[in-house]
Amino acid sequence: MSETLYIQHFNEQARPLSYYLEKMAGYSALKKALGMSADDIITEVKKSNLRGRGGAGFPTGMKWGFIPKQSSKPKYVVCNADESEPGTFKDRDLMRYTPHLLIEGMLIAGHAIGSSIGYIYIRGEYTREAKLLNAAIEEAYKAGYLGKNILGSGFNFDLTVHRGAGAYICGEETGLLNSLEGRRGEPRVKPPFPAQAGAFGGPTVVNNVETLTNIPFILNNGGDWFAKLGKLEKSGGTRLISISGHVKKPGVYEIAAGSMTIRQIIDQLGGGILGDKKLKAVIPGGSSAPVLTADEIDVVYDIEPLMKIGTMMGSAAMMVVSEDYCVVRLIQRITKFYEHESCGQCTPCREGCKWMEDVIHRILEGHGREQDLNLLLNIADNISGKTLCALGDAAAGPVTSFVKKFRADFEAYIRSGKNAQVHH
Amino acid sequence: MPKCTIDGREAEFTPGQNLIEVAKKVGIEIPYFCYHPGLSVVAQCRMCAVQVEKMGKLQTACSTPATEGMVVHTRSEIAKQNQRSIMEFLLINHPLDCPICDKSGECDLQDNSYKFGDSNSRYTEERRTYLDLDMGPVIKKNMNRCIHCTRCIRFGEEVANIHEMVAVRRGNNTEITTIDGRPLETDYAGNYSDICPTGSLTLKDFRFKRRAWYLKKTNTVCEGCSRGCNMEIHQDANRVHRCLPRVNMDVNQYWLCDEGRFNFHYLHSAERVVEPAIKGKNDDLSMTDWDSALDAAKAALVGARKLTVLVGSDLTNEEILLLQSFIPQHLSGAEIVHFGTAGVATVADDAAADKLLKRRSKTANLHGIEQLGLKPFRGISDGTDAVLVVRGGRAELPELPSVKLVGVGVFEKSEARNFSVVLPGTAFAEKDGTIVNFQGKEQKLRRAVIPAGKSKALSEILMMWMNRKSS
Repeated sequence: MSETLYIQHFNEQARPLSYYLEKMAGYSALKKALGMSADDIITEVKKSNLRGRGGAGFPTGMKWGFIPKQSSKPKYVVCNADESEPGTFKDRDLMRYTPHLLIEGMLIAGHAIGSSIGYIYIRGEYTREAKLLNAAIEEAYKAGYLGKNILGSGFNFDLTVHRGAGAYICGEETGLLNSLEGRRGEPRVKPPFPAQAGAFGGPTVVNNVETLTNIPFILNNGGDWFAKLGKLEKSGGTRLISISGHVKKPGVYEIAAGSMTIRQIIDQLGGGILGDKKLKAVIPGGSSAPVLTADEIDVVYDIEPLMKIGTMMGSAAMMVVSEDYCVVRLIQRITKFYEHESCGQCTPCREGCKWMEDVIHRILEGHGREQDLNLLLNIADNISGKTLCALGDAAAGPVTSFVKKFRADFEAYIRSGKNAQVHH
Repeated sequence: MPKCTIDGREAEFTPGQNLIEVAKKVGIEIPYFCYHPGLSVVAQCRMCAVQVEKMGKLQTACSTPATEGMVVHTRSEIAKQNQRSIMEFLLINHPLDCPICDKSGECDLQDNSYKFGDSNSRYTEERRTYLDLDMGPVIKKNMNRCIHCTRCIRFGEEVANIHEMVAVRRGNNTEITTIDGRPLETDYAGNYSDICPTGSLTLKDFRFKRRAWYLKKTNTVCEGCSRGCNMEIHQDANRVHRCLPRVNMDVNQYWLCDEGRFNFHYLHSAERVVEPAIKGKNDDLSMTDWDSALDAAKAALVGARKLTVLVGSDLTNEEILLLQSFIPQHLSGAEIVHFGTAGVATVADDAAADKLLKRRSKTANLHGIEQLGLKPFRGISDGTDAVLVVRGGRAELPELPSVKLVGVGVFEKSEARNFSVVLPGTAFAEKDGTIVNFQGKEQKLRRAVIPAGKSKALSEILMMWMNRKSS
């Protein structure tokens, strides 16, 4: 096995500051960073080929580089811990077992962009993780890693945990910022991007939990070392993968970025399909990623290779579906989720997601019509790329891919009026 | 000036201008719902999405500033497909009740549907419905017609300085409503109806009065205060049915207050004196003919030892000038003063009455009347034994002494109870004329309807006075 950064520490003992200091060289990266210039830190992160772990895969160093040096308003570091993409549960483990990694990562980000205020926006359902984070933050304050004049460097940084109220849309970075500010959780028009006008109008960097927990490793071992962990160009480090669905061993796994195919991951990490059945489908990057059929899984599991075959790695949440599961039922459940989570401000998403769900629901109830499938494809097409934020695409992508790739299943379901009763 | 190309036409623009505005300048209409030039840009309806060369996705024209050399296609196949699709999305849950909807004929949703939508729908699912809500005396809400453009929410927050309209619930169930369903509080509530691109927010005052296409429109100015907001009078068969704001960026931008909007109602009030009237035997006004009334007026005024003429600052400059030449000749020795609003004697007392439009002077021509040299009314001087009041329908009558009172202009019966004579004149919507607002801007009142009943213009009344040989 190649080197892993996190997985060996995913246990209760790893949580306290003492463990972090002893076993994980805790806060040594911060010390190093405080002795470096902001530009040097950003250069190191750029070298690391670290790409955002939240879903979009945007190069982190570049994102930090967008933050203006001078600003009349305070700058902010915001951690997106709203982990809500169905199938994703890696950030939860990071916060549960290695909270100090996140705190240290945010401190370094703050120093790099010239910010002294950080927020962790955590999804409302993560009550336990919010408590653990607050406990870790308290430890860090007591030890002098947070607060005023950190480690005698003159650098100040305050960190607050803000709990969401259970809306998926608040994982969209501008929706998150609105919610953080106490507004309705709706995405904003971009531009301006958060780097220019984010939280409370100030320049803001919004990074995923795993993105930030990578930072201490990069500072300690160098950007080049991190880049080389990845097996592909332009994608450094390791990836935490959430495997769920019909596998024998679901859970969080860590692999070197780009080091395994989907098939290898399912067989070697997931332990194969539950009940040794055949594979029907894989949703490779959280429920918004277009679905893959059983014969499309010999693809390297990383950002670029998946993009090339028309899907995405997203938050690296792999949902595995075995042969006897009903795809109509599955896409209905996925579409219902996006319909329910649409914020409702822009037309195609508000109207289209519900329409798609209505049609799929009608098919599921045994009242489908032949023309429904083309209608679904057309509605999805009218949503895709035409909405204010990416939620529309997240809803349309699965519908399009399911209907196109499993059209025969849908047609059979519609013709028979009802199918696979066992799944209801 | 920098230039871009829209649908093959070269368009100059000032940096920062969005594509909707630039396109308008060269005669190209980009359809939109949520955009409003007086409100912040939210890019929510997605109707204005256009194709911009070298950009992958469609770009919303409202949120895209024009840049040098930009090439834009508003009617390319992909842009048209989006317009058709947005129209379909907006209409799948719309009740399509245009035949009974007051907005019909002047509805953005209806117009854009004809221009950019398909005439059939593929929707066969159940429609979304909401309960109606009473939003107070001004606005009636029909949420089923709403397309969630949020203009009303932004108007409240950004213009009227009141956070009263909100979006509640989420996604397909989003409802636009007031906080806790409370009645609207703003004095500018009528604007909610103006900016609503559908029949979701309608004026209670106008509902079911007239179909929009029957209304004849006259550009005029509001007489409600010294701002003189630009507005349109909409009338049919000589009856004013509503007033709507007209854009004037220097005066009122896009807005009109409720007081000004609904001020017109006195024109058609049953209480208005619209026939010549003289004090009858039982001390009440009785209607008579013009000759008898003129004789009575002359009898009351010509022999007076000390006559005060109160001129309303709701009159036009032309009317004031007429009086300034008429009175010295025909009622010599009279003292001429102006009146209009209690507590606002002169322009020095006039100031902003709120953060948006309203002024303290409740008459429109206070600044004009002072420019013409009239002194403010400070109280009846001793020895006055007759008062002539000349006004439109707006100047507020001061307390008058128990002397001979003659009124010329617009009066309610109750106001003229103690008058010896009333010669009915014209209100702002019944005459042409010039008024001067607090900024010193000369603006035109325009006649929209003929004078009510037997009312006559001031010029005509004075002419009759001069020509009348008293018996």
